[in-house]
Amino acid sequence: MAGGIVAALVLAGTAACSAGSSTDDDGKLTFMFRGGEDEKAAYQEAIDRFSADTGVEVEVIVTDPDQYGTKLQAAISGHNVPDVFYIEQASLQSYVTSGILLDITDLVADSGIDLDNLWEYGVDSYRYDGKLQGTPDGALYGLPKDVGPFAMGYNKTMLEAEGIELPDPDEPLTWDEWLDIMKQVTKDTDGDGDIDQWGTGLNVQWNLQALAWSNGADWTNADKTEVTVDTPQMAEALQYIADMTTVEGVTPSSEQQATLDTYQRWMEGELAFFPVGPWDVSTYNELDFDYDLIPYPAGATGEPATWVGSLGIGVSATTAMPEEATELVTYLSADETAQETLVDAGIQVPNLRDMAAEYASGEGTPANRQEFLDIVEDYGRPMPAAVTYGAAWYDEMWTNIQPVLDGKQTAADYLAEVQPRMQQLLDESNVQAEQAAAANASE
Amino acid sequence: MTRSSRLHQAEHRWALAFVAAPVLGYVLFTAYPVGFALYTSMTRWNGLGAMRFIGLDNYVRLFGDQYFWQSMGNTVFYMIGIPIGLALSLALAIGMNRAIPLRSMLRTVYYVPVISSLAAIAILWQWAYNGDFGLVNQFLAWFGIDGPNWLASTLWAKPAIVIMLIWKGLGYSMILYLAAIQSVPRSLYEAAELDGANGWQKFRTITLPMVRPVTFFLVVTQVIAGSQIFTEINIMTPGGGPEYSTASSVFHIWRQAFRYQDMGYGTAMAIMLGVLILIITLVQFRLNQRNSFVLD
Repeated sequence: MAGGIVAALVLAGTAACSAGSSTDDDGKLTFMFRGGEDEKAAYQEAIDRFSADTGVEVEVIVTDPDQYGTKLQAAISGHNVPDVFYIEQASLQSYVTSGILLDITDLVADSGIDLDNLWEYGVDSYRYDGKLQGTPDGALYGLPKDVGPFAMGYNKTMLEAEGIELPDPDEPLTWDEWLDIMKQVTKDTDGDGDIDQWGTGLNVQWNLQALAWSNGADWTNADKTEVTVDTPQMAEALQYIADMTTVEGVTPSSEQQATLDTYQRWMEGELAFFPVGPWDVSTYNELDFDYDLIPYPAGATGEPATWVGSLGIGVSATTAMPEEATELVTYLSADETAQETLVDAGIQVPNLRDMAAEYASGEGTPANRQEFLDIVEDYGRPMPAAVTYGAAWYDEMWTNIQPVLDGKQTAADYLAEVQPRMQQLLDESNVQAEQAAAANASE
Repeated sequence: MTRSSRLHQAEHRWALAFVAAPVLGYVLFTAYPVGFALYTSMTRWNGLGAMRFIGLDNYVRLFGDQYFWQSMGNTVFYMIGIPIGLALSLALAIGMNRAIPLRSMLRTVYYVPVISSLAAIAILWQWAYNGDFGLVNQFLAWFGIDGPNWLASTLWAKPAIVIMLIWKGLGYSMILYLAAIQSVPRSLYEAAELDGANGWQKFRTITLPMVRPVTFFLVVTQVIAGSQIFTEINIMTPGGGPEYSTASSVFHIWRQAFRYQDMGYGTAMAIMLGVLILIITLVQFRLNQRNSFVLD
């Protein structure tokens, strides 16, 4: 393994000095992405139309989701960067400071695409002003492939069977109301003495954001320089999640969760509430029960909150055909037919606002699809580490969190303990960002 | 070189050409990579852009990195499987050396894990260790033991991996021991029997010393391999296990280098690990020399 690392470093090293030209001048574009059959089909249509319109051929490279990062990195090290490729929100800053991504602000403006018809959140995710990511006046380094709002869902069949009033799709539940419903549904339904129906089962890594934000807490200050997890609001949100299991008993125990995770239990119909993303919809629509979406139950601020993911499509800084490559990006991000294929497959919400209105108003499951759009347009935020240079500081929060979830340590104690370590790592990553930028600028 | 004939000169050129091949190979595939890695370890580099020289900062940082030392500790913990595995495989080899029924089938069975795909084995063991449905706990339940949720417990995750490693390595050590035992001259045992030695005495004074070179070889190679353990850890406990309790050194290095794109720091840790392995191996060679003997 150590040998493997050395070998990888050598490969990378031979190419490290300066970025070279990526396209051979054969008049072809290469597009590298990851995804399943639906994505492939949808993009092939968009690409075909792009080729017909512009006369530019596109060579498509598809990888497994697991392989994509490695393959892209290898391509970059080997001076063979694809002209157009997927880019994660979280990697944007390092790719920009390393001079891999092309600033496409002007090219997009020239292409005639109506940026206002794309979600502001999606577009801004790929703006970077050299200090902060997601700022509306930063330079544009990509367009969204999709936006992924993380909504709360509930098992309608179960709540109806229990005679519980269905939650309002427009007015978020308070934490107390939510807990109250969860207590009512947590029970032994078949009389064998074991509880087999619960309120929920939330993975802290994907759900604390919603609860913390709506309780007035956040991970960092606005400048992304200070870690602010050691606040009473954050502690309250984390304690609320932990207490669901250890005090209130409205979730499967951690042993039960280890046996069959809560995602499976939700699909078995054992849980009343569970988060739902657009990528889940095609799977959840096949389940034996009805479900619908609601805003995340709200903490002290009274406002719901949650995160929105996104994946972007960017252009190589060394492409021989920047105009064509940028045009391809606009086709992939905003082509109506391609968007329809993806939306019909039940894996994403439309990137185009006018299409989204139609998507939310028609017949279909879940009924309250509007919630996804509200999140994207209104109250969703990027994941804390999606807009910083590195993610180590953020991961540190989860590494030793188990004692809190097991009820062996209070949330406040833990957060006070972990904050300095997170701060140190964030400082480190900010220094890294500056040094990487300086190193590339001096080249 | 006035004395050299033309023939000699031609020979000389050929000699140089033959020497050049391995030297070039060494420079290209060993010296350059090592030199490059040493340089990388003194830079800040995200694997994408330009490198920035920062001197020994990465090495200084390493000493304050609690997870580096934790992962080192975990790696050392995994090594307790080595003596246990060697003792078991020696015992097995002695058993397999006797004329027992189905001997060649049993030898094959013990060797199967060695040739199986590591990734597949790791996944199977992950299932076996499942808290409620896993084979291990079902087996323990027959004896009225309520097994832990192995891989999710900070206490049991490491021992669980050690057990798997022992199981995986048993066949290989056993085959080598078997070969070593079979090459011990019968005459030694006969002489001992004439002197009235019992089975244990024969084992302790003849078999054990005679298989020493194999033991030494196995210890050295297994310590080196053990220091580099990664695949099993990454598959069985993605993320480094509960509270990082199963993360090995290489896992930690990999995470820094490839997840956090911190190639410089990752390389510094890899070099540190390499140096530690070198030191441990040198110590082993020294100890082996001191205890070695020559059979006249």
